[in-house]
Amino acid sequence: MSKIMTTQEAITRFVNDGDFLFIGGYICRPPFAAIHEIIRQKKKDLTVVRSNTADDFDMLIGAGCVKRFICTFISLGLYGLARCFRRSIEKGIPHKIEIEEYTNLSLPLMLMAGALGMPFVPVKDMVGTDLMKIKSFMGDNKYKFIDSPFDGSPVMLVPALNPDVAIIHVQQADEEGNAQMWGIGGDCKWGANAAKKVIVSCERIVSREVVGKDPSRTIVPGFKVVAVTEEPFGAHPGYTPGFYDVDFSFGYLYQQASNTVEGFQAFLDEWVFGVKNRTEYINHYIQKFGYEQFKKLWAKFDYSYPVSYAY
Amino acid sequence: MSEHPNDYIKPELMACCGAREIQDGDIVIVGTGFPTMAANIARYTHAPNAKLMQESGVYDARPLRPALSVGDPCLNPGAAMIGGLVDVMGMFLQGGWIDVGFLAGSQVDKYGNINTTVIGDYNAPKSRLPGSGGANPIGSLAKKVLIISLHDTRHMAEKVDFITTPGYIDGPGSREKWGLPANTGPSVIITNKAVLRFDKTTKVAYLESYHPDTSVDEVVKLTPWKLEVSDDVHETEPPRAEELKALREILDPFRMIKIYEKRGYV
Repeated sequence: MSKIMTTQEAITRFVNDGDFLFIGGYICRPPFAAIHEIIRQKKKDLTVVRSNTADDFDMLIGAGCVKRFICTFISLGLYGLARCFRRSIEKGIPHKIEIEEYTNLSLPLMLMAGALGMPFVPVKDMVGTDLMKIKSFMGDNKYKFIDSPFDGSPVMLVPALNPDVAIIHVQQADEEGNAQMWGIGGDCKWGANAAKKVIVSCERIVSREVVGKDPSRTIVPGFKVVAVTEEPFGAHPGYTPGFYDVDFSFGYLYQQASNTVEGFQAFLDEWVFGVKNRTEYINHYIQKFGYEQFKKLWAKFDYSYPVSYAY
Repeated sequence: MSEHPNDYIKPELMACCGAREIQDGDIVIVGTGFPTMAANIARYTHAPNAKLMQESGVYDARPLRPALSVGDPCLNPGAAMIGGLVDVMGMFLQGGWIDVGFLAGSQVDKYGNINTTVIGDYNAPKSRLPGSGGANPIGSLAKKVLIISLHDTRHMAEKVDFITTPGYIDGPGSREKWGLPANTGPSVIITNKAVLRFDKTTKVAYLESYHPDTSVDEVVKLTPWKLEVSDDVHETEPPRAEELKALREILDPFRMIKIYEKRGYV
């Protein structure tokens, strides 16, 4: 059964106000087409989660879509600190979000536990630090400290996470949603498989036959997927291996814009509310910066040797 | 004796100090900037069999430009293995395989605890910082942790405002009490003024060497805790010719390391 639809339809049908969302990506493959659509549809009271976040989550926070954030890290990296996040925490603009803080070990393992149907998972980090002292909306369920039932040694347990919806961007998927990815993974595979429903955004839709030529690349099976959306350049200004590079100048443009509330609003007006969908976004990009600049982002090709699964 | 060209900048010296902490065959987890440069200098000089990985999931990358983040596209082609956070932070780090971790902090204290969460009160912050990311698990679980810091009373403290990443926490016995693996913890703080190491008994950082343009007195004055001075305190060895050659000709031909001068590493 084909699950192909537009991003607009996927977000309308499967993302509700108040939902708990995993949004994949790690500079590599942030699903920006879907993020912009969430902002356009003014979704609100979302709980969002991912290890290491950047401009994508900063934008959702600045746009007022987020109520709660299960986080480890948010920064614009090279460009500087995440201004919308800071304004929210320091000044309550547009409102103060609630944050529950973990690390890049414990949080991915919580998603893994969710994917594996485990109720919790022991982790070896966070102990002895102030990360144990701060508890927000998860309260005493942020973690539990026990003596190991096996050898009596102290063990920290953290709960499994099962988001309502995962949104990921990958290189290719078929119409049923078998999603294929290569390159840096972050917590994408576990986050997607921990969720009750998965929205797969992809650079290109391919046939089931193409998927079957290299099935080891599939990270989410079609039966977990509710929607497949084809969004070329869907991760811009992040990158997708084999398709396009990070757009550093656009990253800087966002950083400059998000320094002020007015600048951020103008950015949204131009790049999110000012366009109806990703196609208009890309057309606007080309009109504004020129086709040459757009072309510069395209990846070079250096193909892997073909693999064979035949017997 | 090695040759020591005198045209180096301070970030280059710091990267070389980091490189010298890495032994041949070490498995090293790096972020970007200094750590990557330091670890790669080691690979091209005395530690050709050191292996690097990034928390995002990359093992033994062969980037053709300096990576600007742990998720940088240049880390993909040529790597020996790419997985994700569960692979690197779970299988390799928590699994106990990482010899060396590199960390930087907005604030570092005398026990090597690092703050990357908040300046001021957590609930009413003066300045909200990015958070732990991979720092806490690296500081908890890597066998040897190298810390990079600016040497002034803003970035160093008797006690950090918030312990994001554990050094020796409250002092001797703290890591053991919390069940952190034996023989782990910070090993050195490399600053723009000096190299500090941790006393085996007190777990407090002391002065091992001061950089060529400074002095014991100046470093003591810039350190916000009572800085003990090693009996054999000496001037830090400047970058060796072969270290600079690896850095400038292979690793960072566009001298992107200069951005650290703008950030105060002078």
